[in-house]
Amino acid sequence: MQNSELIGEIGLTHYLILSALLFVAGMAGVLLRRNAIVILMSVELMLNAVNLSFVAFSHYLGQMDGQVMVFFVMTIAAAEVSVGLAILVSIFKRYKEINVRFFEHLKG
Amino acid sequence: MSADVFLFWFLAILTLAGGLTTVLVTNPIYSALSLAFTMIGVSALFVSLNAYFLAGVQLIVYAGAVTVLFVMVLMMFDLKHELITFTRGKISGLVKAGLVALFAGLIVGSVLITSDVFSKSGGAPEAVIGGDTTKALGTILFSKYIFGFEALGVLLLIVAIGAVALARSKGGTHAK
Repeated sequence: MQNSELIGEIGLTHYLILSALLFVAGMAGVLLRRNAIVILMSVELMLNAVNLSFVAFSHYLGQMDGQVMVFFVMTIAAAEVSVGLAILVSIFKRYKEINVRFFEHLKG
Repeated sequence: MSADVFLFWFLAILTLAGGLTTVLVTNPIYSALSLAFTMIGVSALFVSLNAYFLAGVQLIVYAGAVTVLFVMVLMMFDLKHELITFTRGKISGLVKAGLVALFAGLIVGSVLITSDVFSKSGGAPEAVIGGDTTKALGTILFSKYIFGFEALGVLLLIVAIGAVALARSKGGTHAK
């Protein structure tokens, strides 16, 4: 009975759990991958998961503030990607490699 | 099973599969491809939540601009061989994977425990926004959040200057 209700009726909980699983996938990428570009991609994944939960709350609680937050998060994420990739380009110019083990000491 | 229920499960599986492939595939180009799929799935989920403007912005900014930026930088780097894809060390890797699983269980458990709070208090069916929300979003963005909006403009200007300055430097923190 509980199961058929869980599958057949979509509510806030479903979106929140999907968002949590996406966030955790991104977190696993940040922790486990060694390629700096893939780490940036995983950060994007985490930001998207948070956006999804913001929009779900905004829809189910009937308030627009969540969507404004998503708008801000998207802008800041785009800025973060551009700065992060610029840093990676300058790192690649120096080390010819973007595996994080080459610059884990962050020394010039 | 009605159409929107089917749509949710289809998009949820698509998005989760895309996210997991992004993390697990060893070739960074395939990571970028599945990241684009994930972005498109999230955008479609926004449509199913009646956030049409955000869905469009998601498609343009993430699936368009950010993915193109990633692929362009990947092509510049010429990463044919990737020496170590994942972290070295079995024990530290296992500890990290265990921490991730613990965190997942924590969030999902707390969501499931508190799920009846929202359905009781604010989540009455008449409170659910129906129809197009773009006009309401624009109104609140240019009235209540106008200061944040202007600050974002300044931030984007600073980021544009900073990205150019970083890309011009020779690399390292003490560039000559």
